[in-house]
Amino acid sequence: MNAPTPALVARPERLRLVGHRQQILAIMHQRLMFGMLLYAGIVAVIVLRLLYLAAFGDHAGRKTLVTALVPERGDIVDREGQPLARTIDAWTIALHPSKVIGDRLELAAKLAVLMPERDEVAWLQLLRSDKSFIYLRRRSGPRLVEAVNSLGEPGLALSREPDRLYPQTDLAAHVLGFTDIDGHGAAGMERAFDEQLSNPATRGQPLVLSISSRVQQALEHELLAAKTTFSAIGAAGIIMDIHTGEIMAMTSLPQLNPNIAGNMDPEARFNRATLGVWELGSTFKPFTVAMALDTGDVKGMGQMYPCPDALRVYGRSITDTHPFGRACSVAEIMQESSNIGTAQIAAQVGPAAQRAFLEKMGFLKPVAVELKERGRPLAPRGQWTPLDTMTIGFGHSLAVTPLHLASGYATLFNGGVYRPATLRKVGPGHSAGKGTRVFSEETSYKMRSLLRLVVTKGTGRKADAKGYRVGGKTGTAEKVVGGRYSKAGIVVTSFAGVFPMDEPRYAMVVMLDEPKGTAETFGFRTAGWNAAPMFGKIVSRIAPMLGVRPDLKREPNMAEVLPYVHEKK
Amino acid sequence: MIARGFRSVGWVAGVAATALGCYMVNLKVAAERVALEKVETRIVIAQRDIRLLQTEIGTRGRLAQLEKWNVKVLALSAPQANQFMEGSFQLATLMRPEKKLDPAAPVVLASAPTPAPVRPRMDSDGAPTQTTAASAPSDLMHVASLKVREAEPAPKVASTLKKKAVEKPVERKSAGVEPPTKAAKPAKDSKEAAAPSKSKPNPKPKLGPALASAAKVKPALTSAAKVKPALASAAKPKSKEATAKQ
Repeated sequence: MNAPTPALVARPERLRLVGHRQQILAIMHQRLMFGMLLYAGIVAVIVLRLLYLAAFGDHAGRKTLVTALVPERGDIVDREGQPLARTIDAWTIALHPSKVIGDRLELAAKLAVLMPERDEVAWLQLLRSDKSFIYLRRRSGPRLVEAVNSLGEPGLALSREPDRLYPQTDLAAHVLGFTDIDGHGAAGMERAFDEQLSNPATRGQPLVLSISSRVQQALEHELLAAKTTFSAIGAAGIIMDIHTGEIMAMTSLPQLNPNIAGNMDPEARFNRATLGVWELGSTFKPFTVAMALDTGDVKGMGQMYPCPDALRVYGRSITDTHPFGRACSVAEIMQESSNIGTAQIAAQVGPAAQRAFLEKMGFLKPVAVELKERGRPLAPRGQWTPLDTMTIGFGHSLAVTPLHLASGYATLFNGGVYRPATLRKVGPGHSAGKGTRVFSEETSYKMRSLLRLVVTKGTGRKADAKGYRVGGKTGTAEKVVGGRYSKAGIVVTSFAGVFPMDEPRYAMVVMLDEPKGTAETFGFRTAGWNAAPMFGKIVSRIAPMLGVRPDLKREPNMAEVLPYVHEKK
Repeated sequence: MIARGFRSVGWVAGVAATALGCYMVNLKVAAERVALEKVETRIVIAQRDIRLLQTEIGTRGRLAQLEKWNVKVLALSAPQANQFMEGSFQLATLMRPEKKLDPAAPVVLASAPTPAPVRPRMDSDGAPTQTTAASAPSDLMHVASLKVREAEPAPKVASTLKKKAVEKPVERKSAGVEPPTKAAKPAKDSKEAAAPSKSKPNPKPKLGPALASAAKVKPALTSAAKVKPALASAAKPKSKEATAKQ
């Protein structure tokens, strides 16, 4: 009884076996549970994801970025919102020579008819070339696209690509600039504001320029007419609001079509208004007189200077086109554009003061404007000699851009405050540049009647647009050709002026590069015969657009100057 | 007991139904959202098309093109300083006030020019037998009204008209009131006076013996003036009157 029967007592190894089995079972259960949890977890994740997608997810057909129309590149519009540059989807025709399956000979013949820029042989060569991709046409017309499509050739790929279009073609081309093949700005405002125009965050808003299309068109048209009449090689024109520094219109001729800028003559791409520097001659004289008025060297318009037929100074002889041969007043010096008189006034002012004034007006550094095409003025190096001062006094020895000149006139007539020019509309988001005082307000006021005198009685009579109180100054300068003044009478004529003179608002500079004499001008090629009448024509066209009303009864206070003008009897 | 056995089934069914319901709502919302997105896409596409068309119109009607038409076709030029007006007052000084037709005004009597200040000859039916009347209509336009004759015929007109007035009260109102002196004065040009007579060609009783010829001979003046009914009726009684009188 005591001895356990083998049948009743489990053998120890068997007992161990049972324990082991339970252990195995437990492990199995554990593993199964783990596996189940894993699968359940995965299923749960999938289900949750499905639910999430069902509730918040996007469906497969959803397009991105369709809720707002953001162009590939920002628009450029003028101050009235007229589009000047836009990006549109244009049709592009391209060729994959390896994918062409039809008869190449036949296809070449057809393509030569459709796109006659290449002949049949050239087309065949192109079709047989081993290049993988060739652009045939960018920005092609719908008719051509349709015709190419109807050829049914899979090797010819038609696609739409964003393309920069300038709807007004030549209008304000030098201001707008153009883009390169990758759609980045290569010139003008396109280049200056490339970042803003291409950044997705900012390109939705158009870039608003200070240019007014209609004024720009009038300026361009009249300049082109004058350039053609006088067979000039180029021309430039700028209209500025003198109080804000906004450029209302700016053009450079020959014309540039930014739509095909790459195919244009480099001469056309050259911006004469901001990049080219010229000695602009007598248009500088008002600055000299204003400096002298400001420093007190000239007390009034009646101050007299000796005006002989020729003035010999420092080994140079200064002459006049209308020599007085007598003493003349400041008013007369300005009226007849006397170099001799102005040189003496400049000498009185002295090199240091003259330089300081010019510095403050920004005449000695590249013109302040947003464009990147800015010319560096050419001034005498080092210390200015008294002779330099004299010649700069009447607009020689210092070459500046027409925009410098316009800026200077704006400074002179807005009360004497220099403001950098801007091509962006001044308004909310862009304020006018910071002004610095250059001339006193009194000087600015006195200059009004002086420049009005030039137009009513002096060299600029042809610029007088009746009723618009134009005041300004003619300028004829011999062009520097190969480092010397041209002896062949090649000149640059300009007219810089302001209107309406009784309450100055707009400054305008027009310039003709190498004008020739015509029968109507009796062979003369001075500014009074070409730039001045052009100025008058432009003013009578644009002034009503700019809100300047003609008034035959208003004039600036001419009593300042008229007593000092010797009337020929 | 059976109910209790099916309770779990009920629960499952309920939960399933609810879940399904929620899912349906979800689907519906998703469908709506897709529809909305489609509309939004269409709006954007439409905007893009509008932009494209605007660009095309802008390109075709670019300022350079307009300028070309302006210069070559219309030949327009900038306005001169004297073409601008100071205001409505200055504008008003440029024109004379328009003559208003007053229904109460006296009858307008136009007349044919006569070579002499004597009384014009009248024929019985008002036919254009008179040599003066047969002259150019333009002469008639300028030489007008009653300066040819004195106040004398006017009372006659008035008196004859008064007789007529019984059957035509309208005419009486306009014509009858007129005093003889007024009748002699009217400064209305024949243009105005004659045109109505032509524009209403129906032969009504007419007055003003001298008018007869004028009215008849003036076919060219039809378009000359705007016809006021009052004047028409006033001027109408002309040729008949002439016949009646003579």
